[in-house]
Amino acid sequence: MRCILAALLFIPMLAVAVEAGQPAPAMDAPRLGEPGNLTLQSLRGKVVYVDFWASWCVPCRLSMPTLDGLHKRHADRGFAVVGVNKDATLGDAQRFLKRVPVSFLLARDDKDTVAKAFDVKAMPSGYLIDRKGKVRKVHRGFTAETAATLEQEVQDLLKEGA
Amino acid sequence: MKALALTLLIAVTGCANVAPYQRAHLARPDMAFESNLGVAKAMEKTFPAKEGASGGASVGGGGCGCN
Repeated sequence: MRCILAALLFIPMLAVAVEAGQPAPAMDAPRLGEPGNLTLQSLRGKVVYVDFWASWCVPCRLSMPTLDGLHKRHADRGFAVVGVNKDATLGDAQRFLKRVPVSFLLARDDKDTVAKAFDVKAMPSGYLIDRKGKVRKVHRGFTAETAATLEQEVQDLLKEGA
Repeated sequence: MKALALTLLIAVTGCANVAPYQRAHLARPDMAFESNLGVAKAMEKTFPAKEGASGGASVGGGGCGCN
């Protein structure tokens, strides 16, 4: 009995967070605002930044325009941003996007499948994935400092195997 | 044993872990402690006056005692 109790204590810890150096988990999610699905497999060969965002997430107000700028500057060199929305309703997400329009790929995650696969520990969380599909850097939270380092990291990864 | 299992079952279902990415559910208006913030503020102000005592609730301000 004591064993079961002890085991129960560890249930929330079963999911293992994705860290730098690990392969990116598979992702298959419906696109936000557009028909069709979005998979990480289809972006293999590109440097990808998977960002978990929501309208209720305050630092996302800063991260979304920053990521949009990154995407616009480096898209033609093989960089893609995937914004996974974590709002409870689609309306909340759309209202946010009206105020903060972005041009990168957006996905919905109503069933938390993608967030669970990455075991997201903070909002926003960003995962920088190299051309081979390996997570190279994890950003939890977002400040002006993150924006600066991210620019450099993306440039460095784009040089790899370009 | 059975009673213990039952208690455990109830206890387990009683709590839910809210992951950081699920906080939208906590932000829903019906998840607030007070359904009407205006009324709650008014009560918070009148209650100490009627009871002749203040404190216990979270109070905004600098503690000058001039509310």
